Amino acid sequence: MNSTLLRHKGWTWGFRTTVLLYFLILIVLPIAGVYVNSLSDGWTAFVQNIGDPIAWKAVLLTLKLALTATIINALVGTMAAWVLVRYEFPGKSLLNSIVDLPFALPTAVGGLMILVLLGPNSIVGKAAASVGLDLVFHQPAIIVAMVFVTFPFVIRAIQPLLEELDRSAEEASYTLGASRTRTFFHVILPAMVPGILSGAMLAFSRALAEFGAVVLVAGNIPGRTLTASVYIFGEVESDNEAGAAAVSILLLTLSFIILWLINLVQTRRMSR
Amino acid sequence: MKRGIPLSAGLLIWIILLSVLLSGCSGKEEPGAQPASAAPAAAGDVTLVIGAYSVAKDAVGEILPQFQQYWKDKTGQKVSFQESYEASGTQARAIAGGFEADVTILSLEGDVDKLVKAGLVDKNWKDAPYQGMVTRSIVVLGTRKGNPLGIHQFQDLARPGVKVLYPNPKTSGGAQWDINAIYGAGLKQSEREQGKKDPAAAKAFLEAVHQNIESLDKSGRASMAAFEYGVGDVIVTYENELLARMAKGAQYDLVVPDDTILIENPAAVVDSYVDKHGTRKVAEAFLDYLRTPEAQEIFAKHGFRPVEEQAMNAHRSEYPDPPGLFDIQYLGGWSEVRSSLYSKRGIWYQILAGI
Repeated sequence: MNSTLLRHKGWTWGFRTTVLLYFLILIVLPIAGVYVNSLSDGWTAFVQNIGDPIAWKAVLLTLKLALTATIINALVGTMAAWVLVRYEFPGKSLLNSIVDLPFALPTAVGGLMILVLLGPNSIVGKAAASVGLDLVFHQPAIIVAMVFVTFPFVIRAIQPLLEELDRSAEEASYTLGASRTRTFFHVILPAMVPGILSGAMLAFSRALAEFGAVVLVAGNIPGRTLTASVYIFGEVESDNEAGAAAVSILLLTLSFIILWLINLVQTRRMSR
Repeated sequence: MKRGIPLSAGLLIWIILLSVLLSGCSGKEEPGAQPASAAPAAAGDVTLVIGAYSVAKDAVGEILPQFQQYWKDKTGQKVSFQESYEASGTQARAIAGGFEADVTILSLEGDVDKLVKAGLVDKNWKDAPYQGMVTRSIVVLGTRKGNPLGIHQFQDLARPGVKVLYPNPKTSGGAQWDINAIYGAGLKQSEREQGKKDPAAAKAFLEAVHQNIESLDKSGRASMAAFEYGVGDVIVTYENELLARMAKGAQYDLVVPDDTILIENPAAVVDSYVDKHGTRKVAEAFLDYLRTPEAQEIFAKHGFRPVEEQAMNAHRSEYPDPPGLFDIQYLGGWSEVRSSLYSKRGIWYQILAGI
């Protein structure tokens, strides 16, 4: 196979059709179905479902916790990417491969591990309890779960940018007498910002939807520790599909806006 | 970006497409497999599909081989089983949605009613012995070893600083028993204090207990697992569930409150599917077998209270009746409980939403 073969007209046409069909059947149809299903009872029913205090409290809580998790990931992820690209140390390539593991692990297993490691009988849990802090089954555990499942996004978004970064620009900055801090903030950081932003937004929309890990480590109490995805699960289980679909729409729309923003950030970067 | 990318992206798409095609094929086989093996097999042999709720798993697993022997001795026919264990509500929904179980054993009447509504189970299923029930239990409290907080009644759960666990009746039908017990204990208290049942007082009591909730898990099993990880001081659960855990070496204290509810678990033949499979005779025999002293003895061994008198009398000392024991009729029966407590804007919803 070479790329001239792939440029043949038939191939291009075939690819385009299969991709479009694939996209339509597996992504567009189910998502459109959620919208149609949720609005089938009319707008008033939809507004009523969203206006349910348990529902909107769950959505607000999810937004708050996902935002916290995203900020943590943006900070730690940026540092991790920096270390992984710029420093040489034994075990670096191993560490680099470990970064993606949260993607490979069923999130429920991640949740279970959080439960075991931070639970009331663990060392961390006992230390937290002695200062009057509850971890597991309270909001901190939900944030930890969200951080865990979205950990790779920011790192993987920044790494290629750092690798592509032109060393000569950096060196020029030093030669012109700029300090290390100044160079970092005026040369290196601007190059990383699109990565941080798009990685963080991906992480955010993934954190919004996280279910497997959260359902295990959260107390799932409405208004306190019930996240949107768990609320949706509860509504499906209690035969209230319209209520579940209404909250799903809210999450979907949010995620869609976020992904569109990522796209904007990236196209801006490309055009520069 | 770079040149190589479209090539690898193209490859990736082909790989995905291929895997979709493959999984499409295997997906087609799956639904076909079930009815095929569920239908009467080779002449003389018969397969019974059992859809039960998860807590019954250990006991039912022990009864099945005994029934196999019993049926072979009686008719010479070899019966084999297909078993599925799910949370009661999930199981009922699966059967209503096309999982062709011949016999169903569920946690509560309401879930069998779902099957009646779906037109799968005859509406007179409660005419069977013991009103269609096969086991009983009661709602109890589990505490840490030695009961350090001195928990004795449901009233103690409302004390400040007591961390309580129970599953969410919205996601777990079986959890309705737990909430019914707390609500009913509130009713009992109001009856003692005011001479009549006061639903407002009972709601306030349930609300006070709910203030202390530490984790509202999606199922009784999940709740028990959380308790095992050291979360909470008290778990509200079934006697049989707690006994089964303690039999496996868990170090808890079982506290029987004076006022608590009698749990009754139903079993039924799924008429539409037995007629379709031609398994009515063996399915009905199996249901009868569940109520024999032998099967009831096995249930008793796994912590359930037998419905059958002979087996119950043998275990009377292990399963004392608390003085204030009440059943679902005390709360007005299931249909009343469903509409007042668990309906869309019912009492349970109001407590969760804080209104």
